[in-house]
Amino acid sequence: MIKLRGIRKSFGRQEVLQGIDLTVEKGEVVAILGPSGSGKTTLLRCINYLEKPSDGTIHISDFSLDCKHAGKKEIHALRQRSAMVFQQYNLFNHKTALENVMEGLVIVKKLSKDEARKRGIQLLEKVGLGAKLDSYPSQLSGGQQQRVGIARALALEPEVILFDEPTSALDPELVGEVLAVIRRIAKEGITMIIVTHEMGFAQDVANHVVFMDGGVIVEEGPPSELFVNPKEERTKQFLKRYTPEFSYSI
Amino acid sequence: MKLDPSFIWTAFVKLLSAIPTTLEITFVSVFCGLIIGTITALARIYRIPVLAQLSSGYVTFIRGTPMLTHLLLIYFSLPMLIDGLSSEFGLGWNSARIPMIAFAFVSFSITAGAYMSEVVRSGLYAVDRGQMEAALSVGMTTPQALRRVVFPQAFAASLPNLSNSLIGMLHGSTLAFTVSVVDLNAKAQIVASTNWKFFEAYLAAALIFWGLTLLIERITAFVERRINVYNRGGVA
Repeated sequence: MIKLRGIRKSFGRQEVLQGIDLTVEKGEVVAILGPSGSGKTTLLRCINYLEKPSDGTIHISDFSLDCKHAGKKEIHALRQRSAMVFQQYNLFNHKTALENVMEGLVIVKKLSKDEARKRGIQLLEKVGLGAKLDSYPSQLSGGQQQRVGIARALALEPEVILFDEPTSALDPELVGEVLAVIRRIAKEGITMIIVTHEMGFAQDVANHVVFMDGGVIVEEGPPSELFVNPKEERTKQFLKRYTPEFSYSI
Repeated sequence: MKLDPSFIWTAFVKLLSAIPTTLEITFVSVFCGLIIGTITALARIYRIPVLAQLSSGYVTFIRGTPMLTHLLLIYFSLPMLIDGLSSEFGLGWNSARIPMIAFAFVSFSITAGAYMSEVVRSGLYAVDRGQMEAALSVGMTTPQALRRVVFPQAFAASLPNLSNSLIGMLHGSTLAFTVSVVDLNAKAQIVASTNWKFFEAYLAAALIFWGLTLLIERITAFVERRINVYNRGGVA
């Protein structure tokens, strides 16, 4: 279980997160929606401390961290409990697909190279890249790179995988293959928090949807409620742009 | 005076014995310079208090003064420092026992360090920020991320500049003759003055320097090809 309490973050004078409380149950898939600048990506980056929150506490299962008094060791321990899939993939450019997946296993998890290789091959096959083990990121399409990124995150067996707009940098034709992979691993009961603009996908895959705006959570709930019957005016306004007013298909 | 082509060859052969000294000075100073340069570049990039300011001061002062001046400053200050320390703490050191080439090592390392600092800094800036973030998100510590992810890519990016610096130091090492180290150029002078055939001897030295430079160019081109397999090139 992940519990965020009172997460605040300021860039200079601007407070982009104004006290966020969020609870994510084990195995839950949470989608965070919101307009640009709402703080959703910042929130996600705070969970694994790529952004240092100015206040609040982060609990991931048995581990908790008080952001005001976090030392290097605690931050490192926190990061080991999560993994991130980036908008720009951020694969290690100088390593092949397989080496990208192996890296964390060998260096952080201290697996032997043979074990790491076995696990790496398994995972890359799982995301449909069994034939691209020795390709460098520059030789892969965006969709393929992102799938390697997902395999790299899965390899660490983290408590939660954080997806930061995983399909925003992809052209429409490649979005599908990445979403299919995420959908598949969501079914395996891995806890995930996904920042996304893919409304249909969020509605379909998430168990819990969070709508953020202006650094606060405006509304949250199961997709069946939030998408169909949003309570807040701001949520309605936001969703209107994405979902057609009525659908006549039967 | 007439040109004596055969003496070019004679001088060439005699000069070969000085190549190890020249290479030794070059590689020691570039190697130490790379270490100094990496430390100072990191101090500046991470804005480590005091160390960052010291590093910036070091870089502007050293780049703002000639390499020959560094050598002379070290040559005249290091013995004072060593003898001073020795008498203060009763260490029994004696500056007269320092081999001359050590002055070249120390001063050229300091010179190279300042130039390398900029080379390393530009190399580090060439690595995308996301690489560091990805390494941290995988659970690496900052030193692990630097060693495993950032440095290899920064090295690849700065290879052309590194080879430039290496060539610069190869040629700069000729200054060592001012503290009586017999490098290639000094050897050429000795060979020339004993035979009164200056042009021939220096021409031979020039050919050897060119040869060494070609070698460095070839080696870096080879390393670049190996190391950059992952890279599909920038603008080209």
